[in-house]
Amino acid sequence: MSSSTSELVRLDETLWEIPASARRDMRVPARVFADRELLEAIVGDRSLQQLENVATLPGIVEAAIAMPDIHQGYGFPVGGVAATELPDGVVSPGGVGYDINCGVRLLALPLSEAELGPRREALVHEISRSVPAGAGKQGRVHLTPAELDCVLVDGPQALLRRGIGREDDLEHTESRGRLDGADLHAVSPRARERGSDQLGTMGAGNHFVELQRVERLYDTAAAAGFGLAEGGLTVLIHSGSRGLGHQVCSDHVRTMDAAMIRYGIELPDRQLACAPASSPEGGAYLGAMAAAANFAFANRQAIAHAVRGAIERVLGSAVAAETRQVYDVAHNIAKTERHGDRELLVHRKGATRAFPGQAVFIPGSMGTASFVLAGERGALERSFGTACHGAGRALSRTAARRRITGGDLRRRLQAEGIVVRCPSGAGLAEEAPFAYKDVDRVVEVVQEAGLARRVARLVPLGVVKG
Amino acid sequence: MSAASSVATPMAGSLLVLHPCRWMHRFIEHTGEIQVELEAASEVGIFEAALEAFAELASADGDREPASHRIELATPDRALLLADWLNEFVYLAEVADFVPGTITAFELVGDQLRATVAGHRDHPRQLVKAVTLNDLELTEVDGRWHGRVVLDV
Repeated sequence: MSSSTSELVRLDETLWEIPASARRDMRVPARVFADRELLEAIVGDRSLQQLENVATLPGIVEAAIAMPDIHQGYGFPVGGVAATELPDGVVSPGGVGYDINCGVRLLALPLSEAELGPRREALVHEISRSVPAGAGKQGRVHLTPAELDCVLVDGPQALLRRGIGREDDLEHTESRGRLDGADLHAVSPRARERGSDQLGTMGAGNHFVELQRVERLYDTAAAAGFGLAEGGLTVLIHSGSRGLGHQVCSDHVRTMDAAMIRYGIELPDRQLACAPASSPEGGAYLGAMAAAANFAFANRQAIAHAVRGAIERVLGSAVAAETRQVYDVAHNIAKTERHGDRELLVHRKGATRAFPGQAVFIPGSMGTASFVLAGERGALERSFGTACHGAGRALSRTAARRRITGGDLRRRLQAEGIVVRCPSGAGLAEEAPFAYKDVDRVVEVVQEAGLARRVARLVPLGVVKG
Repeated sequence: MSAASSVATPMAGSLLVLHPCRWMHRFIEHTGEIQVELEAASEVGIFEAALEAFAELASADGDREPASHRIELATPDRALLLADWLNEFVYLAEVADFVPGTITAFELVGDQLRATVAGHRDHPRQLVKAVTLNDLELTEVDGRWHGRVVLDV
């Protein structure tokens, strides 16, 4: 438990604060969106201590903020948000994480579960054959070094030129799938090597492609705007920048770890290593991060293209052609944004941008519901335009494996009618539903806090796990 | 230093692997990631323990085609050197499907680490994205060496 948990002050029904006075090195308070029950889970690991550490970053403004799915990570807690004031506030690669622009993309099919009928298993199986999953793995999009450069600079736009994806996909992607300022020189040869053959691959861990049914609509107007109908089918894709992003983060954490002494920065955790955004080191990281983020948007585009291919083979070309992208949103990223009269660098580590009206996706764990929400003004006022990114882990991977085997979980999910494809039994067990917090409760807090409102609840029909 | 003669068969899911008198690693509960504690009678033993921990995470039932890699690292910060050592295995697992087995040559002089590691090509089971600097440690206390790393998975 955090040493400062006893200093938690309840500000309102869903917001708690550890005042900046709790530690001499905190520059701002640490705030957590949670109800009492979620808070009890949150104080069970070191996530609040990590949030206090974030509050020590030079240039941080207002508060270090945690979403209700917060859990212990490294440096930043997962579910952490920090805004630093530009130009001289710091950028911290650890505040973005190794999987730069890990995010989710939702596709809506022009089909209901009833119309899918007995083809469900065939569709999930075909998706699993079309999207390489697991550690390493080669994708089916082969890039020359020059083509990789184009992806790093232009993101999915570069794939459109190869017939991968559609123009309207870009219109439904955060930042149109392209962050300005990608710096090819700041991406190391090793990062390129790790990512060069991974476009269109899912990766491992908690990444997935899930076939879902829209079980319930809460806001029919917003749902219609997103192209969602009750009983309709959706596919949710969760992946990121793969080895390329992992290496970019590793490289730049090391650079900043060495540079901090020059800037007179002392931090309680080396993983928070940072430098002024205006410094050469800060600029290099932001250029490399933009390149990795563009790669991740392109990766999800390639995966979506493969999913459309699977849909075409199982359900026909008309269904594939009418499969629309609802939205694609990042949840590991740092972005320059204007909030009020300040230009800020908003770090979101396991947290989703939630600007008013924007689609926000909160996947639950395997076998449980996922939610589509719409950002609310409250997010701009209270969390720099941010909502949470998932249910949030409650149990370690080891603890999850101790409770259930991959085989038993597979049988349990299949008994519930969920088709499962996963290359690793252990990996499946680690993502068991009980290893995560209750997603309905997490979403309830997000809505009560005024960060985003519920639009639709999606339930799984089939899952392909990394 | 010569190769360790007592590299144990990785025990999937084990919490503690002991190598009498030499080194050990154990995985500590961590909500989001994997924390590894290392202990050894010597500084070099910490690097051997780290290799074994990684091998336990990565080993699968692949073709086990023998492979060997030369590793050269340099940094004056020994804790960072430990992180770099493991990061080499993260990199090799991803680009060469390499799972380390034993150290066949090892030299740690000043800031320089030079080693040759034998292992096999496999389809690494656990994706380790990176070795973080969170709680990174390599220290000596009363003649015993301790290391700690948190792996992003």
